[in-house]
Amino acid sequence: MASSDRVRVKGLDIHRPIIYGNTAWVLTQKEREALPTPDHTHRWTVAVRSATSAPDSDIVGGADDLSHFIKRVTFKLHDTYTNPNRTVDKPPFEVSETGYVAFCLVAEYARLTARFFAYSWGEFEITIRIMFVQESGEKSITFYHHLKLHPWTAPGSGEPEIPPLDVAAKMGPVHSWQYDEIVFHEPYQAFLNILTAHPPKPLPKTKRRPVPFHTANPGSLEASKGGVPEFTQEMEKEEAERLEAARVQLAKEYQRLQLQVLQKEAELSQVKKEIESATQVS
Amino acid sequence: MAASAADVRSILSIPTPSASTSTPQQKKPQAAERAKKPDGIPRELYALIGPSAPAIATQFAKPRLKQKPNLGSGGRVKWEWRPFKNAARSDGLRLSHWAKGSTEPDADYPWAKYNIQTAEYVYSQDEYSRLLEDQEWTKEETDYLFKLVREYDGRFYVVHDRYDYPHADPRFSPRTLEDIKDRYFSVCRKLVRNRPWAGDEASKNALLSSLSFDKSREITRKQYVKDLETRTPEQIIEEDALYLELEKLKENERRFRKDRDELLRTLLGIESGLPDLPIDDEGLQGPSVEPKKKKKGVASSVEPQTPITPSASNVISLAQPQPPKKTAKSAAYDILHCITRTDASQATKAPHQPVHLRSTKIPAVKPPGATQRVAQVLNEIGISHNRLVMPTAENIARMEPVLSSANSVVDMKKSLDKVEQDLRIAKARLAALRGETAEEGSGDAPQTPMEVEEGADAESVAGDRAQSVVSTKSTRSRRQI
Repeated sequence: MASSDRVRVKGLDIHRPIIYGNTAWVLTQKEREALPTPDHTHRWTVAVRSATSAPDSDIVGGADDLSHFIKRVTFKLHDTYTNPNRTVDKPPFEVSETGYVAFCLVAEYARLTARFFAYSWGEFEITIRIMFVQESGEKSITFYHHLKLHPWTAPGSGEPEIPPLDVAAKMGPVHSWQYDEIVFHEPYQAFLNILTAHPPKPLPKTKRRPVPFHTANPGSLEASKGGVPEFTQEMEKEEAERLEAARVQLAKEYQRLQLQVLQKEAELSQVKKEIESATQVS
Repeated sequence: MAASAADVRSILSIPTPSASTSTPQQKKPQAAERAKKPDGIPRELYALIGPSAPAIATQFAKPRLKQKPNLGSGGRVKWEWRPFKNAARSDGLRLSHWAKGSTEPDADYPWAKYNIQTAEYVYSQDEYSRLLEDQEWTKEETDYLFKLVREYDGRFYVVHDRYDYPHADPRFSPRTLEDIKDRYFSVCRKLVRNRPWAGDEASKNALLSSLSFDKSREITRKQYVKDLETRTPEQIIEEDALYLELEKLKENERRFRKDRDELLRTLLGIESGLPDLPIDDEGLQGPSVEPKKKKKGVASSVEPQTPITPSASNVISLAQPQPPKKTAKSAAYDILHCITRTDASQATKAPHQPVHLRSTKIPAVKPPGATQRVAQVLNEIGISHNRLVMPTAENIARMEPVLSSANSVVDMKKSLDKVEQDLRIAKARLAALRGETAEEGSGDAPQTPMEVEEGADAESVAGDRAQSVVSTKSTRSRRQI
């Protein structure tokens, strides 16, 4: 079997772990003055990177170069940005920008008008599209990321959802990253060779840095503070445990409810019998 | 008997002539004689035999009896009449029994652990109509069966004997033991499979396998055993003879094959590639090699034989493709490159699955109408219904049972609400009826609202839509009463 044939390798799936998301910082006074638009308050970078972080790096992920299978990444920003369609052809696949977040009365007014909604909060949805190298013979994939500028808060806590700028600046950069896996099903042999020539660095087994926060795991808020977060295999195991615990809990809940239903059914049949005897008597 | 002079003299009481000199002499031999008279033999015998009596006969061995066995404590054991607690009892009845004084008074009652209860399976109406409907069994009959099984503790012979369903369907009665067992176990299996299971897969599978029952197999097995027991002597003799013949044939075949292989080896040398046959090897060698052997003769059939016999030698291994074996190295390679292998032999006429993000494969809530309620249930536990922190293949697989459990919980909540509502309505109706019968005596209670209420009740039996109307009406009438 010649390896450069356009033959698909049957019965084989190969995936690559990636992360996508953004990091955001509050601009210092000096940085703000240096900008052409001085009313911008935050700067942020949205990126698609490999899931494993390089040791001692100050970015989340990015230990591997993905350009061997990713040809191009496009980021579609909010329309109010100039040239909202940003295309990146070579690594690092990221876009950095500054943004404007208005507060208080202006925010209130702006919230009423849909167009300024995104601007007033500064956060909006970015459409990300990944195009693969030609050898893959695959179409592009599209997905979305909500740009996160304001620090994560626990729902129902006393803190306001958007803290004032100076408080936010003290809390450090805001990270919002999603782990995912790009799955190639039965790839061409040529593409498979390319992929196997660049094996991804595996995720670290244990946690050495803060855990990236995710809304699906609200309990991880505390663990996400204090530095540049990193994805680990431990996070995967922890989620598996949570899912297992949930399943067991739901099964117990089901049994409890079932007992109640049986009780009530028994009561109901009893009452029905009494009704019958009552209607017969009268 | 020799009567000595001394004897005569003593009988006749004649004084001895020379008392001092002769009597001691006579006495001595007499004394000597008498002293030697042993205890073992009678005097007369001794007198006959004389002093040459054998020493052994004189002394019988004293019977050496066994000593009385010293049974343990020579001391006295004190027994007390003690009340005890039986852990297997639920009603707290205190019985008493004799117990040794030395045992501690509050030890566990040792027989309590034998009070094992079998697992009871109770199903709700909803579950019955969803899962357990059957052509041959009505719900009432199934309920009757379960009641009997519970009463007789799962002893099916007793259940079958006492089984007497009053409205038996003539097509299917009388129910055989296999029928009722089949119905019982199939119901239990369906319940275990469809209810959310708290615990791991392995224990669930173990339980399912304990509930397995194959009706046809059981019937044939019982028939077989019955036949076996009722063989006539001639049949038994015939069977034995056949068995002996079979053994003889097998032995012959074995010997034949052994001889053939030895012959081959001597003819073609040890390197002919034939593996050393164990004596009773039948496997691949037997059927495939023998017909070839018989057709082609000894020498020429070696070549075609070698590809057939899969052995470890190099000559042969080239002819056969290596079966793909999953070694530890290839597994590690797969993990490193994030490769998952699936069964490639399935006919994949399906179009190529394009590249995707694994998070798009997170299972969705079905039915989609219940999404919000399922999401609410999951939220209370702290799980998102559509997002995962780390959507790996394993975690996505774990989502599936979580979602289905959540679905079941939602369904169960719905049925609980429904039953509670029905119960409330029925109770209200009962109260109204009771109130009505009490009122009939007095006679001048306002008739109309109650008549209206009665009419509305009749409606409620027919259609569900009137339920809320009925309940408000019944509360109104209740308040009046």
